[in-house]
Amino acid sequence: MNVDVTALLLNIFLPFAAAALLFLVPKKLKLIPEILSFLVTLFCLASALRFFLLGVQVRFTMLLFSLGNFEFAFDVGTTSLNTFMLLFTAGFAFLISMYSFRYMADKEKRKKYYIFLLTALGGASGALVSNHLLVFLLFWEVVSVSLYFLITTGGKGSREGATKTMAMIGAADGCLLLGIGILWYISQLLYLDVITLSINSWLSALCFILLMIGAITKAGAMPFHSWIPKASEKAPASVMALLPASIDKLLGIYLLFILCTRIFVLPQGLLLTLMIIGVITIVAAVMMALVQHRLPHLLSYHAISQVGYMVLGIGTGLPLGIAGGLFHMLNHSIYKSCLFLCAGAVEHKTGTVELEKLGGLAKAMPVTFLSCLIAALSISGVPLFNGFVSKWLIYQGLISGGHGWLLIFLIAAMFGSALTLASFIKVIYSVFLGRTSDVSKKVKKDVPFTMQLPMLVLALLCLLFGIWYTLPLNAFINPATGAAPAVIGSWNSILAIILLGGGLVIGLFIYLAGRIIGKSRTGRTFIGGEELAAEEARVPGTDFYNSIRDIRPLSAVYNIQARGALDPYNWFGKLGLWCSGLLKKIHNGILPLYVFWTLLGMGVLILLFIL
Amino acid sequence: MDMLITAAYILFFPGFATILVLGLVSSWIERKVTARVQYRKGPPLLQPFYDIIKLLGKETILPAQGSRFVFIIAPLLGFMSVSLVGVILMLQPLLAVSFVGDLIVVVYLLTLPSLALIMGGSASGNPLASQGASREMKLILAYELPFLISVALVVYKAGFKIDLQSLPAGGNMVSISGILTFIVVLLCVQAKLGFTPFDIAEAETEIMSGPYIEYSGPLLSVFKLTQSLMLFTLPVFMITVFWGGISFSGWNILWFALKYILILVLIIVIKNTNPRIRIDQALKFFWGFCSVLAVIAFVLAVIGRWYGIAWL
Repeated sequence: MNVDVTALLLNIFLPFAAAALLFLVPKKLKLIPEILSFLVTLFCLASALRFFLLGVQVRFTMLLFSLGNFEFAFDVGTTSLNTFMLLFTAGFAFLISMYSFRYMADKEKRKKYYIFLLTALGGASGALVSNHLLVFLLFWEVVSVSLYFLITTGGKGSREGATKTMAMIGAADGCLLLGIGILWYISQLLYLDVITLSINSWLSALCFILLMIGAITKAGAMPFHSWIPKASEKAPASVMALLPASIDKLLGIYLLFILCTRIFVLPQGLLLTLMIIGVITIVAAVMMALVQHRLPHLLSYHAISQVGYMVLGIGTGLPLGIAGGLFHMLNHSIYKSCLFLCAGAVEHKTGTVELEKLGGLAKAMPVTFLSCLIAALSISGVPLFNGFVSKWLIYQGLISGGHGWLLIFLIAAMFGSALTLASFIKVIYSVFLGRTSDVSKKVKKDVPFTMQLPMLVLALLCLLFGIWYTLPLNAFINPATGAAPAVIGSWNSILAIILLGGGLVIGLFIYLAGRIIGKSRTGRTFIGGEELAAEEARVPGTDFYNSIRDIRPLSAVYNIQARGALDPYNWFGKLGLWCSGLLKKIHNGILPLYVFWTLLGMGVLILLFIL
Repeated sequence: MDMLITAAYILFFPGFATILVLGLVSSWIERKVTARVQYRKGPPLLQPFYDIIKLLGKETILPAQGSRFVFIIAPLLGFMSVSLVGVILMLQPLLAVSFVGDLIVVVYLLTLPSLALIMGGSASGNPLASQGASREMKLILAYELPFLISVALVVYKAGFKIDLQSLPAGGNMVSISGILTFIVVLLCVQAKLGFTPFDIAEAETEIMSGPYIEYSGPLLSVFKLTQSLMLFTLPVFMITVFWGGISFSGWNILWFALKYILILVLIIVIKNTNPRIRIDQALKFFWGFCSVLAVIAFVLAVIGRWYGIAWL
């Protein structure tokens, strides 16, 4: 086997080997998990970078088992689509592993955390490069199971969130398995590079819908989204940054992308369904996020909302939209994991995630504040950051469709962007700006360097991909989709930043001229001439959007949602309880009834035997 | 040589220096007309310039609480973004190719001055400023919905194009849907400028200027410059996108000046004849009446396009 194939197999299996090794290492050896995970993630990153830069196309096939027409082969290979995704998966794992050195240093489930971080990395790498659908499903499932265990490292109370996650993703994976089964039944093929189906019967439509459910539940679109906020309640922030924010999105949208562009040829009706799911997700999730009081919940709802953009982009079926959706997947992973890491840093220092109790942390934690500000501006779609570029491409995709009704989706998507901006203003104000709260007064300095570096790297990546956006487009997205889409608008970011720089110079000139002429001093804030106690004078950010929550039709919806009545998880729970309730009635403990059922059963069997 | 000419356009005419001067003159017009309506004499022509220069000589007071860095950067950010939008809009008729950005870019850049105000207010460490900042954000949410519906209408009428050059040439805005859209956008612009009845964020008598409360000296002068630039840029945006576009050739300059003065007069009249409304009233107004009006305009435009009726 040559170097490339070895590197690919190591990329997949080395994390598993390291995880197995960590199982055996006793808990007393303090730094072994950190060192091992650092080395392994660094190796995977270097190897993925090598694959990406050299552009080699590797393929490894090993037939394990065949029965008639059915073949089960371990078939993995790199294509222009999965090399860059492999690179970013390894990159996220490396950065979050570095972040976890200090973040998880005093938590008791450290070893378990690192074990399952490595298995998640191995599973994700395997899923991205596998060419055989069952192998893909196997690795996909490994990621889901790792997520369950990673959430339970959050300590007491995390089991509830982990169970809900496993239930919903497990059900979605069941749909995936069923869908793959139907795919096999229709086409007798299970290799990703050769399947092409057109949807011409209800069976193939069902197959697509099942596979799509698997993909969007993993990514977290509505209506199967409620596992993400539940998991974020107790899971460590670095777990949320690793899986639901970045790797799950990469995997889910990867599957959706190959479903819509490689495996199936979709008719207009199914594309429209995808777009409707996308738009409803965007607006409903961000309306939910507006009224949240706890930072992880808020960030989870935004993660759900941004998936709507990706689904909308891919659902347009047009080159601009699909490129935009894919690019948004990448950008979202970067700024979302940065946001979760910042939330983790704030929690590490203050011990709380309640927005009411935080405030004024900008002076004490400048690096965290800067990274969070950049990531918040990116997610809101402010020009010169990466979120704007991918949203701009998706909007152009909608406009280039040439139909009036597509503009309805455009309006909803742009309005969702404004709502996102509103929500993040609240976050930045509540956590970093405003008056310093009692809890925040105890924070003296920022988090340690190994926690700062990942946040800074991700924030700088947001800036880089926003200003020099042709770089990621030409290096990552266009090779994946196959062609550079014809852009209908224009955005000269380099010229814009030059002009903005010029404007900044003029503004600074005015300010400094004033500073030279007049003087400057620091003064107490003016609140109508009164002296108010510190906590009294503080306006927490949680009340910002009460005006919106109280608008008549919306308040009814918010109340219904708060009771859990809009959650399919609860619906299926109630359905299951009803079914088992029926069966419970039969088991009422009266012997003659059981004898009756037994005789009835025997009678049916005898009848069948005679006939 | 080409670059030098373009740089001269950007810096002097019809770029930055021009919009600065015209912005300050427009704010003078607004103050003079308001004074006349109120039976006062009103300030002389150079008053806005005197105000800016006076503020430059005042002391800069930085708040003890809150983030000093954001406090200083926020007004500069607002100033930068509104000058960029002004330069884009004014240079568009002169250049053959699209300059810096298209319609989507301009719409997003126009939210930045309000964002800068909110950030500045948040960084002031003053509860009144926070109130103002939260009201400003809710106002943005309120008017963004009808504004986006109107922008989508223009894109539809122009044949699904978004670069600023093809917008006026494409659609026909002198039609019922065009007029309805113009009214909706006028109300949204009134809110963007922070003029009565939508000056909720900087309500002088209620929350003592809201986000501006801690600002003094040169930083306040930068904010005031931003306000004047917005007063010039937003009507120019309305003309470019919703009323036939700008052109600098021959009689068109006069036509452009007349359109601009008409919009300015409408803004001043609305400002002087209305009381301030509450933020929840503003939310209901924009999400209710204005959005419904914008949707009706959209429906009329769609019907007009389907059946080939030009005046719908």
